[in-house]
Amino acid sequence: MTESILFWTATTCYAAGTVAAVLWLAFRSDRAGWAARALAGLGLAAHAGALGLRWAAVGHGPYATRYEVVSADTFVLVAVWLAATLRVRALRSLAPIVLPLAFLGMGWALTSFDVRYTLPIIFRSYWLYLHIGFAKLFAATILLSAACAAAYLVKLRDPTRFPALPPPERLDLYAHQLMLASFLFLGVMIVAGSLWAAQGWGRYWGWDPIETSALVTWIVLGIILHLRVLHGWSGRRMAYLTFVGLACALATLFVVALLVPTIHNSYLVGRG
Amino acid sequence: MKLVRIVRSPSFALAVIGFVAVYSAVGAWLPWSSPGGRPAPAWAAALRLDHPFSAPPFLVAVAALLASVLACTWGKRGRILRLGRGELPPTAMCLPPRPGADPGAFLRDQGFRRRGEIWTRCRAGLWGGWVLHVGLLALIAGVLVQQSLFDTGLFELTEGETAKLDAPGALLWRSRGVLARATPPDVEVTLHWFDPYASQEGYARDRLSQLGVVRRGHDPVTAFLDRSAGIRAGGLQFFQAIPTGYAVNLDVPGLGRRSVHLRPEMAHLASIRLDDPSGRPARFLLTAAGSLDDPMGTGPIRVELEQDGVRRALQRGAAFRFGDRDATLLSVGRWGQYTYARAPGMSAVFAGFALVLAGCALLLLPAGVARVEDGAIRAYLVRGGAALAADWTHDPPPGAEDRRLRTEGP
Repeated sequence: MTESILFWTATTCYAAGTVAAVLWLAFRSDRAGWAARALAGLGLAAHAGALGLRWAAVGHGPYATRYEVVSADTFVLVAVWLAATLRVRALRSLAPIVLPLAFLGMGWALTSFDVRYTLPIIFRSYWLYLHIGFAKLFAATILLSAACAAAYLVKLRDPTRFPALPPPERLDLYAHQLMLASFLFLGVMIVAGSLWAAQGWGRYWGWDPIETSALVTWIVLGIILHLRVLHGWSGRRMAYLTFVGLACALATLFVVALLVPTIHNSYLVGRG
Repeated sequence: MKLVRIVRSPSFALAVIGFVAVYSAVGAWLPWSSPGGRPAPAWAAALRLDHPFSAPPFLVAVAALLASVLACTWGKRGRILRLGRGELPPTAMCLPPRPGADPGAFLRDQGFRRRGEIWTRCRAGLWGGWVLHVGLLALIAGVLVQQSLFDTGLFELTEGETAKLDAPGALLWRSRGVLARATPPDVEVTLHWFDPYASQEGYARDRLSQLGVVRRGHDPVTAFLDRSAGIRAGGLQFFQAIPTGYAVNLDVPGLGRRSVHLRPEMAHLASIRLDDPSGRPARFLLTAAGSLDDPMGTGPIRVELEQDGVRRALQRGAAFRFGDRDATLLSVGRWGQYTYARAPGMSAVFAGFALVLAGCALLLLPAGVARVEDGAIRAYLVRGGAALAADWTHDPPPGAEDRRLRTEGP
């Protein structure tokens, strides 16, 4: 019961925060901007409570059902964004992108509510926490990178239109830095998953569709970063390439598991 | 020299990386790539694409990747050391003097620190690319060692049964690298205890075994293993596999104790076809009242031997005619499946991966080297040159009200 109240509190906060963020962007109302951040913080606290209560009730972390996975992904997205705004205040301007995403994430989680008390024995591993934790960090940072790229394109089109957004050069730089971080997190996720597989099955790599998709995404991100560092690509075409990276990431994290049978099915479709 | 230039060019690296990405994506989705998938068609076998990740195109691409990374890494260390001494490359950006602006104060505000004539920021970050490339070299070399020397195999045991892995027929399947020993490891493995539906708190019922491993030159090991973790013994690793089934344990004069592993055919039936000691075809059948996979129990079971179209029920402890001799049915048990593995290159692979990730972490640092020359700034930045130039051009710099905004990155 308490978990449900906290979950709905978080969802309501994210929804109200979305409205405040849009008002801030449209009317440059500082009060609305402050309200958006405060609501995001409040929602995050309630969300943490909901996840914690759920963990205590079922005896395992948020990685066994689609409800838990999507809810935890949303939590990490908001948490990473808020943490990043403490270091780089300009990233506050991503509120109109992050908060609607958080609201949609909560909605998706809610439509797939499910409880699973017992886990496959293969889940008894510390590598699991690293693998899943870094998968969530990867999802959050690549989404924020794409959000920066989207804001960059908006700002480039008409630099005077949204004065609240940072200059395009900054947004381009933030998109790059966040993509570098996501490349690092994806790498740790792959290695942790590989070590986990070796611990349980004696094989480090099995060319499972999601394993392969993660590797391809890592290589695609590597190519994009290469193009920027070695070929000096930046600006508009790099922004579009960031969306390509995001598409690969979404395919790896959500689409492949929903479309084909893989050893990773359990976290999204509840079997496997 | 032209070849070296080609191999070290970014275009070559991108082409190879792109090929590996596309090949991996396609190779993993081929219907015959997944374990238990349908057999590869003739054209794929003819092109040696039946095992896409040990096929020549893939191996050549990996070798090309190694050459590209090696060529790219060569000389990189010297360039970084020169950069650290303030020798800026010709590609360094130049910010022209701005009336009234203090370049030193600007660089300080951007997070640079003065070291004599040179201004630096996050010097360790300059090494990110080098560390990453050395890591890639270690990783690819590790993959080559692993693919050359790995050894893995699959075997089955019934409770109380011992198998010598190098004995003929002991392994159901084996895969090894081209430089691995031709014979399987000389290890003796005994299954002391096996529960296919062991209950462990918080987890679904699953296999749990106690294996004993003996190998000359190594301490004997007896340990439990389940599907969450294998065991190390005799210089190898052993892992619990999923498949399990019923076994009839026989005492066959002249052959000793034999365990016949039956294969599930239907929910209530398991059987196996084999030749009896005189070479005549025979079939053992096991039928149960309930499902053979019911963790709560199968109910009464019945064991039969079928030969020449005649089925005979076998009783536990009773002798029965089996070929040219009288065998005895000792017991009915469960067999479990296990793999052994030797992965000598994986340490290098993971050391390489750790270096790659360390390189990535260093690349996150906004490293840069700058010099002030007659009021102008010459600077080399790992990234963010455009943002630095924009800050220098704008007066006041954008986000001047927020110092952190301008110091978190170049």
